[in-house]
Parts: sequence; C-alpha cells; structure tokens
Amino acid sequence: MHFLSSLEHSAFGTWVREAPTIWAYATILFLHTVGLGFVVGVNVAIDLRILGVARQMPLAPMRRLFPWMWAGFIVNALSGIALLIADATTKLANPVFLVKMGFLTLGVVNMAWSKRRLFDDPVALERYPASPHARRVAIVSLILWIGATTAGRLMGYLGPVSGLESLE
Amino acid sequence: MSPTGLIHTGGALQSYAAWVNSTWLHYFAVNYKWVWATMETLHFLGLGLMVGTIGVLDLRLLGFAKGLPVASVQKLVPWGIGAFVLNTLTGIVFLAGAPYQYLYNFAFQMKVIFMVAAGVNVFIFYTGTWPQARAIAPGQAAPWPARIAGAVSLFLWIGVMYWGRMLTFFRPPFVVPPK
Repeated sequence: MHFLSSLEHSAFGTWVREAPTIWAYATILFLHTVGLGFVVGVNVAIDLRILGVARQMPLAPMRRLFPWMWAGFIVNALSGIALLIADATTKLANPVFLVKMGFLTLGVVNMAWSKRRLFDDPVALERYPASPHARRVAIVSLILWIGATTAGRLMGYLGPVSGLESLE
Repeated sequence: MSPTGLIHTGGALQSYAAWVNSTWLHYFAVNYKWVWATMETLHFLGLGLMVGTIGVLDLRLLGFAKGLPVASVQKLVPWGIGAFVLNTLTGIVFLAGAPYQYLYNFAFQMKVIFMVAAGVNVFIFYTGTWPQARAIAPGQAAPWPARIAGAVSLFLWIGVMYWGRMLTFFRPPFVVPPK
C-alpha cells in the first residue's frame, strides 16, 4: 500500500491527475476511449463476420486489420498505465478493476493466439458456416471484450470509485 | 471561448432545460444509480461497435485491408446504424438527467456539430460517391472522393469521441456535479 501511495504521489501520477491542463487527465482519457474503439470495435467486427454477419465479406483480408487492434491495445495499455498510476490506491483496491484485467488479458490472448491462428488457414476460414471452433473463438471474444468494456465503465460506479472525483 | 459555451443562460433554452428537468425521464435518469451506469456501459459498447463497422469501412476506403470488396464491407453499416441509434437513445437519457450540464457545455455543442457534419458527410457519400465506391473490387484503390469521405468520417467520429470525453471537463461552473 505504501508503494501504491508513493506511485500515486509521484511527480508523474500527480501531473496526470492534477495538472491544470487539458493535455493531462482529459487527453489521456480520450486516448483510452479511441483505443477502446479500435481494439474492441475491430475484434467485434471480425467476430460478427465469423458468426455470419456481412457474409459476402471475405474474412481473409481482415487479417490486415490486426495492426489496428494492436495499435488500439498499445494505446490503451500506455494510457491505462498512466491512469492507474494517477489513481493506484483506489483502482487496485477495486475488485472491478481486477475483473477488467481478467477479461482484458483473456481477450488479448484469444485475439493474439486463437483468432490469429484462424487466419493461418484461409481456405477453412472462408467456409460458411464457420467451423464450430471458429464460432467458439468469436463468441468467447465477444464475451471477453463486452466484459472488459463493461467492467471498465463500472469502475466508476462500483467499489471504491476510480477516476477523478465527480467525473461522470 | 466562454467556459459556458456558445450559448448563454436564459431565454428559450433555459425554459427547455427546466422542462426537461420536470419529465419522468429525468426522474428515471437521476433517481436510480444503476440507470446512469448501465447507460454509460451501453454508450461505450455502441461506441466500439461504431468504430468496428463505420470505422472499418472508412479504413477500407483509405486503402487498408484492400482485399475487402467495398460493397461487402457496406454490409456492416446497418450494425453501425444500430449502434448509432443505441448511442442516441442512451445519450438522450444523459441529456434528460442533466440538461444544464450539457446544453450550456461547449464540448457538448461541438459534439453535436461534429455529429451533424458526419451526417452531411454520409449524405454526400451515399448520394454522390456511392455508385462508384460500391464497385471497388478486391485489391483496388478507392477513387479520391471516396477516400476523402472515409478520412472525413474517421476524423469526425474520433472528434465526436474527443468532445464526448471533454464533456465533464467543460461542465458549466454553475452545474453541481452528480454524486
């Protein structure tokens, strides 16, 4: 707890939280939102396609969208670390934060491993309906990203409330 | 820019805000803690779905994932419209819950302007550019008007996210933040 508190009161943590400029907390929060859009949005687009939405759309070329998911994830990892440092004692005491981290970790593993491997076999990938394995990967992905987003939002409402005071 | 936005207190807007505060939707939005949290969650899920649908079409027009035929990516757009409707409805709940916080808020006004501009871009794209754009085959680059439409759409929707996130930082000074 002492370590978390010193993290929170470090020059960087204080700057993120208290700097009287739009470029600190507000901008980092904005980046975290755009990153969410890309990592969750593109994952969901691929999941929906696997499950039969927009089935005229070939799946194989969607492989080129992986860098956009990774970019979104990296932006969110970095902005998330900044937001965590600024609020370490509260966030790490909030079970909802740990739930979010759980969903998130599984979501990234599912994306980087199971989903990416589906693209190694473009012929099987284009088969319609998709294989039970591919459908499972897509459904698990949807659950994990919806879970991560929901937990992230609820951190502001449940448990020790995270974020800046009155930031709703 | 005045901290209370482009619009000043008083007049028709003030009576509108006062009326909003008297509606059942306002009561619903502020008297149950779970309502606001649930609407926020849905609003962010809608945000992600919009990026995954409209954003993917924009990226394809800009030349990413060129293996996708444009007409097929268009099939994602109804899901994007669904997400937009979801976000409009959840947004109306926020507005009903705290009309003064939003109506007199520079960031909210900019958010609305950006959404209207995005609507104009959609109109121009589907009435002018679409007949050409829908024929873009796998591997083929989009013509310039379609690329510009994609770039403008990405810029405006990211701008909508920006102004949405700035709302609480531009909260008018006379508004008491929710507990």
